[in-house]
Amino acid sequence: MPDFSLTDDQTSVRDLARKFARTEMAPRAAECDRKSLFPEDIYRKAWELGLMNLNVPTEYGGSGLSLLDQCLIVEELSYGCAGMTTSIIANCLALEPILLGGTPEQKTRFLKPFCASYNLASFGLTEPAGGSDAGALATRATRDGDHYVISGEKCFITNAPNASLFTVFATTDPALRTKGICAFVVPRSTEGVTPGKDEEKMGHRASSTGTVRFDSVRVPVADRLGAEGEGFSIAMRTLDQTRTPIGALANGIAQAAMEHAARYALQRKSFGKPIAEHQAIQIKLANMAQSIHAARLLTWHAAWKIDHGEPATLESSIAKTFASDSAMRVADEAIQVFGGYGYMKEYPVEKLLRDAKLTQIYEGSNEIQRTVIARELLRRYA
Amino acid sequence: MEIVVCVKPVPDAETKLRPAPDGRTLDLEGAKFVLAGYDESAVEQALLLKDAVPGSTVRVVSFGPPGRTEEVLRAALALGCDTATLVESPPLAHSADVRSVARALAAAVKKLPHDLVLVGKQSGDSEAGMLPTALAQALGHPGFNGAVELKFDPTQKLFTFGRASEAGLERWECPGPVVLGLQQAGNDPRTAKLQNILKSRRATLDKVSLAELPTLDVAGATAEAFQLPPPRTGAKWIEYKTPEEAATKLVRLLKEEAKVFP
Repeated sequence: MPDFSLTDDQTSVRDLARKFARTEMAPRAAECDRKSLFPEDIYRKAWELGLMNLNVPTEYGGSGLSLLDQCLIVEELSYGCAGMTTSIIANCLALEPILLGGTPEQKTRFLKPFCASYNLASFGLTEPAGGSDAGALATRATRDGDHYVISGEKCFITNAPNASLFTVFATTDPALRTKGICAFVVPRSTEGVTPGKDEEKMGHRASSTGTVRFDSVRVPVADRLGAEGEGFSIAMRTLDQTRTPIGALANGIAQAAMEHAARYALQRKSFGKPIAEHQAIQIKLANMAQSIHAARLLTWHAAWKIDHGEPATLESSIAKTFASDSAMRVADEAIQVFGGYGYMKEYPVEKLLRDAKLTQIYEGSNEIQRTVIARELLRRYA
Repeated sequence: MEIVVCVKPVPDAETKLRPAPDGRTLDLEGAKFVLAGYDESAVEQALLLKDAVPGSTVRVVSFGPPGRTEEVLRAALALGCDTATLVESPPLAHSADVRSVARALAAAVKKLPHDLVLVGKQSGDSEAGMLPTALAQALGHPGFNGAVELKFDPTQKLFTFGRASEAGLERWECPGPVVLGLQQAGNDPRTAKLQNILKSRRATLDKVSLAELPTLDVAGATAEAFQLPPPRTGAKWIEYKTPEEAATKLVRLLKEEAKVFP
């Protein structure tokens, strides 16, 4: 029989994240969203408490948590503010290639000093001319003795304006497609690395997002992760790990939206009674609750499979897609429950819809996820 | 410096309170118990003193049923306390008679080295505010309640603190051992780090069993009845279309019903 109960350890780390989200993040969420502020003091505090480098083993200075534990934390943080959560968990995404492809020496050299103090890292895969088609990278890595020379541009990179370390994917030969891609660790201080300006976004406005230009950046061969040509596999395996927490992030947004809607429905009156007593509103709330419950179980299950070393490409894609679509529906319905007030920026729910939208796009768009799901499915019947 | 902090597990502030079927106690089935309020400040103050006086030890003691009491002790360990002692209570009502609690705690505290015994000036749930004094009496130490701005002067070996009174702020100094009911710590309570929380879950707690305790006078004071306050009535919602209409209706209600003015 499956066991859906959380351990005491899990409840206590979830409670830590819950407290942090509600006392530190939520009170600042609206202002950071409105003014597009990057609340570095909150991120620093998240690092101090151990809420930042969740996937990095403790021997390298991280929190060393299972994926299910990470999902519990991410949902709580996202309930407080999805944008801040994106910036807080961007290190998990950026450092995962080092965990998957790095040698023990590289892990010690990069992760230990990085995790020992407050630092942000960015994952550099997406390019202006290629998002979902990750095999078609244009950023070049040209071998020159015991160095590579990297040139090209990455875009939509979370935390890029503030990051001190980048994991970068570049090709030694575009004709080789995925087989030509290599992964590198590049400190921001390396000559030729130029992060661009912070982009104006629809949602997740407490997070920073930008381009990074690499102009003839010399990277030692010793800083390449894995073998030459192994970069694409490292990138895909990284996303296999980090996709599920995006489901959890979407669930946090949805949970917040439902709670706002339920509280409002109990207090707002129409036709002489609280609107929560109207069946039209009850049906909306019931649909929200069902959707969130299903999405959460899918997320937990995918994380559980990965933690048990089982293949979970199908489950993690289903979890991410279902949860992000669910968050959009729930946030949309929450606005509807609020009526005109929901459309006003003075109320908290319109932000949730803008935040939910990104979860359908980043870390593998839902269209790509559905392609993956169909491929995994059809393989079984071929 | 040897510091002992005594804390009490109290229901989380978000717990929906209701009377138990016996009508004399609270139904706390499924409630989450936490380290809260003045107790949290007492732990924070103890840790501040530990930081200020190198070589200090902070030991935390709590009296209560095992499950919930273990939770608050582990929370205190996660914050930085060095050891934790669980004084197991009989399965009695949520708040036992204060003298019994003081005697049980004193039995555990006596076994620990202590220059300072810190407690919150009142608990986060019953808020009686009597324990600091009762504990001082049970230990035979001087006791003060409502301490603020607590410091330790290592050269003179004196605790200095303030105490708010109607006349102003009293300034006190006292050598240890002393029992202080803390009103406010020098800092907002810190938050435990994730790794320390996980470590605290595996820490071994010292236990004092019922058999080791002196006879507890649990019948000293017992609750006779517990009821929720009656639901508030009398609030009126004024329906209106214009501010003038709202004002007219309000004035009429104030005159005729509330009789605030003739």
